[in-house]
Amino acid sequence: MFSTELVVQTFISGVMIGVLYALMALGITFIYSIMRMINWAMGEFYMIGSYLQYMLVAFLLGPDLWWLAIPISAAGVFAFGLVVQWGLIKPIFKKPPEARDDYATVVTLALLLLLRSLATGLAGPNQFTPGSNLPIVMVGPMPMAGARVAAFVFALVALALFYGVLRYSWYGLALRATSQSRVGVQTAGIDVLGIDRVAFGIGVALAGLAGALLAPVFLVFPTNGLITTVKGFEIVVIGGLGSIPGALIAGILLGLIESFGAAFIDSAYQNIYGFALVLLILAFKPTGLFGERGREA
Amino acid sequence: MTAPLLAIEDIHAAYQSGVDILQGMSLDVPLGGFVLVIGPNGAGKSTLLKTVFGLLGPHRGAITLDGKPIAGLPPHEVKRLGVSYVPQELNTFPHLTVEENLRVGGWTIRKDAARLKRRIAQVYEIFPVLAERRRDKAGSLSGGQGRMLSVAREMITEPRLMLVDEPTVGLAPNLADQVYELLQTARKAIPTTILLVDQNVSDALRHAEAVVMMNLGKVKAAGPVAEFGEDRVRDLIQECLLG
Repeated sequence: MFSTELVVQTFISGVMIGVLYALMALGITFIYSIMRMINWAMGEFYMIGSYLQYMLVAFLLGPDLWWLAIPISAAGVFAFGLVVQWGLIKPIFKKPPEARDDYATVVTLALLLLLRSLATGLAGPNQFTPGSNLPIVMVGPMPMAGARVAAFVFALVALALFYGVLRYSWYGLALRATSQSRVGVQTAGIDVLGIDRVAFGIGVALAGLAGALLAPVFLVFPTNGLITTVKGFEIVVIGGLGSIPGALIAGILLGLIESFGAAFIDSAYQNIYGFALVLLILAFKPTGLFGERGREA
Repeated sequence: MTAPLLAIEDIHAAYQSGVDILQGMSLDVPLGGFVLVIGPNGAGKSTLLKTVFGLLGPHRGAITLDGKPIAGLPPHEVKRLGVSYVPQELNTFPHLTVEENLRVGGWTIRKDAARLKRRIAQVYEIFPVLAERRRDKAGSLSGGQGRMLSVAREMITEPRLMLVDEPTVGLAPNLADQVYELLQTARKAIPTTILLVDQNVSDALRHAEAVVMMNLGKVKAAGPVAEFGEDRVRDLIQECLLG
């Protein structure tokens, strides 16, 4: 039956996976809050992060230096994001804003197909996993895979860094201001297209980081970003589009619901429980838990 | 005769190709002056300010600031040259504190921490209510205080030229008077030159030194404020509206 130990184990497991989901959702919602566009290719940046992690561990650094591969993978995705923003997104934002959303949707969907096809063409449909020699770790009463615990710790560090930059740096102040008024920051003399570039880079780097962290758990293959992206959008709907606190809280909520549903109802329907929550939110609070009021980068 | 601080010559600008809102607009703003731009709705007054500040790129004509061409420069570069723009809408960041709003206003001087600190302190001296509410979110300010913050934010960098777009729209008469006082305060405290667009003609005329009346994207009449009595303004607007 429902032992306290099982409840605690399920809770810990849910929080840990929820924080990792939140990274992806944070990337989606961060880009939206700054640029007012949805990047439909987020899953492909996740996928690139996971491939980078695999290649660095398998061919360059080795399993002992897996931890070094993680920031390098995220930085690689960040750099790629800067190039994508410069080449594909920035030209859209130089035009009048009427059809900006439509163009951004078409461009990022095309990018999704391109990157996925490239990955299939270059690496084939095979599944890879970066080696990890981390031992089983006891989290409270619960034995957990070292890779999963390490991913959780890295995610927490990344979230703390993200928060610190947003809250205490000049650039963070500019990002927070841009999320509230694009005209306002231009009147302050801030290069709004430059802010877009950095925001896009940070947003996709968060997805790439999630990909690198989850590579040992969810494996590496051309469409591995799909499920995580779907979960990212679920979180965005639950937390409220554009709300960063909402993304964090909804990420943990989704992790908990999936975890408890799998443990106490049926693990076969793990991905359904989140959708049920999304439907409930859409029915009773369509703007999400933190909706428009919570929009703040 | 001294050269104007801002010179606009035969500017043509459009939001959509082929539909020019500014159709050969020319205007000089002298250093230290207070120039009021009036005209009927759709005359292109707000578009004029957006074009000077770089939010809209002109496709013909020249704009110079102190003799330096600025037409087509992006807003952040225009700002660095000493131009500030106060748009018609409340220009604050509602989820940032008053102090954070002022710091964003000082973005272009952020590397000179001592100057930025001094400027914020000076702005607090001029507007004590902002000092009292420095830790409050800007979204919690009243309409008048919000306008005050919008203007104060643009004063942080001590601009040579302030472009101000309908600062009293939607405000109660007593608040409108406060806003004009704000602009005069800014003008004296920095000191700065003001190019003001306003529909509230009778009040704005009391503060301006020169008037430009626009119609259909170009100048219909211009001259010192003494030449623009209320009767003449009314006649000119009737002419504009009746063609």
